[in-house]
Amino acid sequence: MERIFEFLFKYPPLFFEQGDFTFGAPMSVRLWLIIAGLLGAATVASYTIARGKSTVTDRGVMAGLRVLLLAVIIVCLLQPSLILSTVVPQQNFVGILIDDSQSMLLADENGESRNSFINEEFASDESELLEQLSDRFALRFFRFSDVAGRIDSPSELAYEGTHTNLARALDVAREELSGVPLSGLVMITDGADNDNQPLAESLVPLQAAGVPVFTIGVGEESITPDIELGRIEMPRAVLEGSSLTVDVVITQTGFEGSTVPLIVEDELQIIAEETVELGPDGEPVVARIDFELEGVGPRRVSFRIPPQPGERVNRNNARSVQVEVRGEREKVLYFEGEPRFEVKFMRRAVAEDENIQLVVLQRTAESKFLRLDVDDGSELEFGFPTSREELYRYRALILGSVEASFFTHDQLQMIADFVSERGGGLLLLGGHGAFAEGGWQGTSVEEVMPVVLTSPADDPQGFFAEVEVTPTPAGLTHPAVLLGVEQDQVRERWDSLPTVTTVNPISQVRPGATTLLSGSGEQLALEQIVLAFQRYGRGKSIALTIQDSWLWQMHADVPLEDQSHEIFWQQMIRWLVDGVPEAVEAVTDREQVEPGENVQLVTNVGDSSYIEVNNATVTARITSPTGIVEDLPVSWTVQRDGEYSVEFRPLEEGEYEIEVTAERNGETLGSDKTYLYTAPSDKEYFSASRRTQTLRRIADETGGQFYTPDDVSSLPEDIRVTGAGVTLIEELDLWDMPFLFLLLLMFMGAEWGFRRIRGLI
Amino acid sequence: MSRSLLHLALSALALFTILNTGCTPDSVEETEYLTPPGAEFMNQQAPPRVSRPSFVDPRGPRMDPNEIPGRYPFYWTRAIYSGWGRRGWGQSWATDYPKGDQQFLVVLKRLVRLNAYDWDNAIRLDDPILRRFPIVYAVEVGGMDMTNPEVEGLRNYLDAGGFLIVDDFWGQREWDVFEYNIRRVYPDHPIVDITLDHPIYSAYYDIEEVKQVPAIGRAMYPAECYGCVPYVRGIYDEAGRLVVIINFNTDLGDAWEWAEDPRYPLEYSTYAYEMGANMIVYAMSH
Repeated sequence: MERIFEFLFKYPPLFFEQGDFTFGAPMSVRLWLIIAGLLGAATVASYTIARGKSTVTDRGVMAGLRVLLLAVIIVCLLQPSLILSTVVPQQNFVGILIDDSQSMLLADENGESRNSFINEEFASDESELLEQLSDRFALRFFRFSDVAGRIDSPSELAYEGTHTNLARALDVAREELSGVPLSGLVMITDGADNDNQPLAESLVPLQAAGVPVFTIGVGEESITPDIELGRIEMPRAVLEGSSLTVDVVITQTGFEGSTVPLIVEDELQIIAEETVELGPDGEPVVARIDFELEGVGPRRVSFRIPPQPGERVNRNNARSVQVEVRGEREKVLYFEGEPRFEVKFMRRAVAEDENIQLVVLQRTAESKFLRLDVDDGSELEFGFPTSREELYRYRALILGSVEASFFTHDQLQMIADFVSERGGGLLLLGGHGAFAEGGWQGTSVEEVMPVVLTSPADDPQGFFAEVEVTPTPAGLTHPAVLLGVEQDQVRERWDSLPTVTTVNPISQVRPGATTLLSGSGEQLALEQIVLAFQRYGRGKSIALTIQDSWLWQMHADVPLEDQSHEIFWQQMIRWLVDGVPEAVEAVTDREQVEPGENVQLVTNVGDSSYIEVNNATVTARITSPTGIVEDLPVSWTVQRDGEYSVEFRPLEEGEYEIEVTAERNGETLGSDKTYLYTAPSDKEYFSASRRTQTLRRIADETGGQFYTPDDVSSLPEDIRVTGAGVTLIEELDLWDMPFLFLLLLMFMGAEWGFRRIRGLI
Repeated sequence: MSRSLLHLALSALALFTILNTGCTPDSVEETEYLTPPGAEFMNQQAPPRVSRPSFVDPRGPRMDPNEIPGRYPFYWTRAIYSGWGRRGWGQSWATDYPKGDQQFLVVLKRLVRLNAYDWDNAIRLDDPILRRFPIVYAVEVGGMDMTNPEVEGLRNYLDAGGFLIVDDFWGQREWDVFEYNIRRVYPDHPIVDITLDHPIYSAYYDIEEVKQVPAIGRAMYPAECYGCVPYVRGIYDEAGRLVVIINFNTDLGDAWEWAEDPRYPLEYSTYAYEMGANMIVYAMSH
C-alpha cells in the first residue's frame, strides 16, 4: 500500500506527515484563483453557446469535466511543494538498541531464530540497511536486557540476558547520547518486557527532547503450539501439615481440548499430580491442585507440565514458588459461653495437631470459667481478656454461644479491632447466644461478621431447624471444606454426613463475603448460610452458623474411622490462623531474584498492641547461602507509619535467610524471619511472543515508526525525514506527481468517453 | 428348709405383686414416684412418653417422641440396658427413674450455666440415636447383663466420643458383674483409680474427698455392703482420654433424687451434686 502511495504521490506518506504543504508560483494564489475562475467561466460559457445535438445535461457534464481538468492544470501551475526538515548527513547520531536477552534465541516457525535478523541486517558488512544508515548517520550501538550499555558492534551480543527492561534501555541510550545531535533511536526487540518498569516515565523525556524511537519487532505474535504455566497463587508461608489449594493459570495455543498432567514437586519429590483439560486456543484455564507440605523450613515448590509433542518452547512449562513451612504452635482462643459439646469435640479434633494450641475459656456459671490448655495459671485468670495486649497474643479467636451483653463495650470494640487492626482470624459459631439470637445486632462486632443479622424469631422457644449441609461452588475448592478427599468427591462426602442443627436463621451474607457451605431443611424457609467468610481490615472473619458440628464425629451414620470432623476442624483452624501477621513482619518485594539484582526488604513494626512504631531500631541479619552474615540497619520509610525498608543486593546463588529484629529503648518488640531465593531466571521464556502493541506505542508516542523485518527497508529514509538533530530545509516539488497526470488523463478520457456514448462526436 | 421355701414363696408373691402393679405406665408412676414433695407437679409437667418400664417391655421408655434431638445442647441421658436387677424384670437401669433424673436437672441447671432439656431421656444402648447424646448415665450396673448388640452399641458409642457415667452398685459381686460386662466392651482397657489430682475433681467444684453417698434411709450406715469403701475409677481410650467414670460403692443417684427430703443428709447430697456437676462439665469439655 505504501509503495502504491509513493508511486502516485512521488514521496512516501511519512514525507507528507512531516512536511508542510506550500505553492511555489511567483504570483499570489488569489490572482491564480481569479484567473482560474475566469477560465472556468469561459469554459462553461463556450459549452452553453455551442448547442448542437446535446441536451442541457450533456453540456453540464462536459463543462464540469472540462472545469476539473482546468483545475488540475491550475494546481500544477501553482507549483505545489513540500517543505521538509531533513537531517544533515553524517552530522547526526542514531542509537541502535538491540535486545540481548535469551528470548532472542527463540526460533520462529520457519526455524530461524529472532537474532538472525540482527545478524543479517546489523552485524553483517553486506547489509544494505546498515550501509544506508551508516551513510546518513553516525551509529551508536547499545545492548539491553535487564541492564543496558554501549557496545562497539552487534557482534558482541551474547543473548544471555534473563530479563528484558525496555524502559531502562531507553533511559540509558538517551542519557548516553544526550550530548550529541541525536536523530533518533532504533530499538530491535521482541518487546517481551518482563521487568514491568513503567514505560511512560521513559517516554516523556524522549518526547520532550523530540527524539523519535523507531521500533523493529522481531519474532512471532503467537508461538504455536505451546503450553505455558502462568500465575501461581500460593501463600508465602503455611503451617506445617496444612492442606494447600493452589491455583495455576495455564495458557496454550495449539493444544485445544487436550489433557495434560500438572505435577507438583517438593525437593524433586512428586507430591501431587492433577490432569488438566485445556480450553480453547489462547484462553487460559485455571487448574486447582491440592497438596500438603511436610517438614519445617523454607521450600521450593515446583509446578510443571511435561513438554508435549511438537511444543515450541519447553522452558515455560515449569515454575517454582518459594514457601516457608512454619512449625510454630499457633495459639487460638476459643471462648464458649456455656458447656457445649462443640468444645469437647473440637479439642479432640485438633488434639493431635502439634501446630495448633487451642486455648479454651468456657463460662460454666456467672463469672466462673473453665480454662483449658493455658500456658500458666495467670493466663485468662480473670476471664475474657480486657486489654489488647492480652487478646492480641492469640492469632485467632473463636466465639461460641455467648451473648453480646456478656462483653463490655470496650471488649466488643477490642474484638472488632482484633480482626481489623491486629489482622487476627475471628470465627463465630452458631448457638443460642450467637448472632442475632445473642443480641449481637448493633454491636461493633456485627460489622465484622460476614453474614447479615435479622431480628430473632418471636417464638419463645426460639428458632430451630435441622440442616443438610452442602458445599457451594466456591466451597468445593476451598481447603477448609475439602475434608481431605479429591475435589470430585467433595460433594459426595458432604452428602454422606448427617444433618446438623441451627438455632440461628441466617440467609444472607454481606457484600464481598463468600459462602462456602449452605444448608437446606424442612424447617428452613430460606437457604441457610452455614459457612461464610470475608476479609475485614487486616484480618478475616468466618461464620459457622450451625451449633453441633460434633455430630459429624459422633452420629451413628458416621463410620468410626471417618476423619471428616477432625479434618474439617484442623483445616478450619489452620485457615483461621493463616496469614495472620506478627507485630514485626518482614517481607521482600520479590521472592526470587537473580544474583546481583537489588531486593527491597520491607518490615512492618508494631508494639504488642499492634500500634505502629516509628522510633524503633530495626536490624536485618542476612545470611548468604555460604554462611556469610551481614547486618543491615533498616530505616523508617517516613511514608507509612511503622514501615521500615532497606535495599540490598544478594550476590550468591541459593537461599538467603533474613532475620529482622526490632527494638525500642532496649526492649525487643519482635523479630521475624523470611527467605529469599536467588537463581538465574527463566522469565525470558514466558510470554515470549512479540509485543507489537508495546512497540507501536513506543514509536507512536515519540513520533517514530514501527517496523517488522519485512518492511524495515525504509528506515534510513524515514529517520532522515522525521529525525531530530542537525537538520536542513528541503523543498520537494509535487507538480510532477504521477497522480496529477493521471487525473488529467482521467478527466480528458471521461469527456471523450461521455461524448462517444452520447453520440456527440 | 421349710422356712426357706416360705421365704421363697413370699418373695415370689412380692415379685408377682410388683410386676402386676408395673404392668401399666400409670400404675408405675403412681406407686413409685409420687411420694416425694414436688414430684407430682413435675410429673404433670413432664412430656408424654412412649411407654414406661413394664413387664412386657422392660427397656421400653425413651425420650419424648416429639422432641427433636439437638434443640438443646445437653440432654441428661440414662442408659437402658438388659439385666435383671432389683426393680423387677430387667429394670435395674430404671432405679430412681425418672424422678432422680428430673430433679438432678433442676438443681444442675441452677448450679451450672447449662442449656439442658428439662426432662429425663432414657435411651437403649443398642439404639443408634444414643450417639446424639455424648454423655450417658448407667445406674445399678450390678444387675447388668448386656446383649451383644448393646455391647457393640456401647463400644461404638465410646469409640465415637461418648462418655459413660456409672453409679450405684455395691460390693464385690456387683463389681464382678459390671466388670464382666464392661470387659465385653473393652477387653483390654485397664480400669484404674481416679485419684484426687485428676482434673475431673476440679472441673467445676474443688472436691477434696471421695465420699460414700448412701441411699435414702441409710444415712447412719451408708455402705450397702460390709466394709465397702467408695471408689471413683475410670477407663481410658487409646488416646489417653477418660471415657468411663465409675462411681463404685456409692449412690450419687439417690442423693440427687432425695436431696429435697429433709431426712437426707445435706453433706451427701452436696457432694453428689458437686460430683455430678464436675462429671458433666468435664465430659463436655474433654
